[in-house]
Amino acid sequence: MNEERYLLFDQYLQGEMTVEERNNFEKEVSGNPEFAAEFRTFKEVQVQLQNKFGHVQEREAFKENLSVISDEHFNKNKPKLVLMRPWYYAAAASVVILFGLFFFNQNTKPDFADYNQQEYAYLTERGNVQEELKQAEEAFNSKKYKAAIPLFESILKENKTPEIQYYYGIALLEEDQFSKSEAVFNELKSGTSVYSEKALWYLALSKLKQKDYKASKQILQTISQDYEDYDKVQKLLNALD
Amino acid sequence: MEKSKIHPDQIYIEGIAANDSAVIRSIYKNFVPKVVFYIMNNSGDKDQAQDVVQEIMILLFNQAKANTLLLTCPFDAYFFLLCKRKWLNELKKTSNKGVTINEDFASINVSALELVEEAEQFDEKQQLFDVMFQKLGDKCQELLKLSFTIKSMEEVAEKLNVTYGYVRKKKSLCIGQLTQWIQEAKNFKSLKNN
Repeated sequence: MNEERYLLFDQYLQGEMTVEERNNFEKEVSGNPEFAAEFRTFKEVQVQLQNKFGHVQEREAFKENLSVISDEHFNKNKPKLVLMRPWYYAAAASVVILFGLFFFNQNTKPDFADYNQQEYAYLTERGNVQEELKQAEEAFNSKKYKAAIPLFESILKENKTPEIQYYYGIALLEEDQFSKSEAVFNELKSGTSVYSEKALWYLALSKLKQKDYKASKQILQTISQDYEDYDKVQKLLNALD
Repeated sequence: MEKSKIHPDQIYIEGIAANDSAVIRSIYKNFVPKVVFYIMNNSGDKDQAQDVVQEIMILLFNQAKANTLLLTCPFDAYFFLLCKRKWLNELKKTSNKGVTINEDFASINVSALELVEEAEQFDEKQQLFDVMFQKLGDKCQELLKLSFTIKSMEEVAEKLNVTYGYVRKKKSLCIGQLTQWIQEAKNFKSLKNN
């Protein structure tokens, strides 16, 4: 192994050379293809190491999450084998009846607040962090929607992405700016982004907040059963009946 | 690559990098069934399909984290082609009979194909790197692992109870060893191909 050479590579990359040494090094890179190739590989190895160890925890978390979702997906059609004894059925049935009574007595219309659960916006996780984006994210996540709205508006002027539109729409809805909010969600709804079904959900919530139960229900009925949060849709539909 | 050419489906890549469950679920719901159908129609079963998909998802994560993946075609096309080629390679490995890959050229998206080739190279490089890394001595492995997780070489030195000068030198030499092996593998490959 050419130890001298690798120590030289490192010195160069760390910026620890004198001007003269630097010039000599660069001359060698341009004049000696073998030296240049090895220098390139040396830099590649650093990038590989960075990838390998720089995101160890994130990678493990991703793999874990992935395998849960994957199992969910691949096993969902398999019948679950549950052995139940007859008296379990009786017990289960009485629980169902109790629940039924409980819900029957709550014969009121559903409320917006019960169904309105916001996820956090993670807008600045990767890449270069823009100050404005960060402020918007913070305002949104601390439920300061009024402050978040103008920030989103100015970001959207520069860079219109479905993600920003989505959070902008939610902020508007929170502030009861229904027509503006619905315009945003209507646009998202007809797009092809992952937010198109979520947009339908928020349109339905918007109607719910305005106590237009019929319109809310109609919108809910257009949401595909493949929507990731369909259980919420189902719940709200049941409550609206 | 120009930024303007990036497909809006890049959000899937961002979602994978951020470990966003909603995005991962929507990939499984919208794009995985097609892959499963394909694999099951080409001498595979459901479990094998699940594995292929999972491996490709991890590859996408690695690529995204390395900031080397900019989608220039729909995610669907890219994802399906990656999984399909991965499966056909598996088949080739396990069966003695040659597997003929009947590419339906009309349906292949050119930029998807280019991207898939890049991804395969990325994967190949990473695998070569992992093999070489395992060949290193324990001390080198440990030191490199620490240097690239902790970042501050002063702290690494403290942790290993050696001097700063020593870890700096040792780190360069360990990277040098990897460089040498990988360079040799590259030279060998280009000899073989010429």
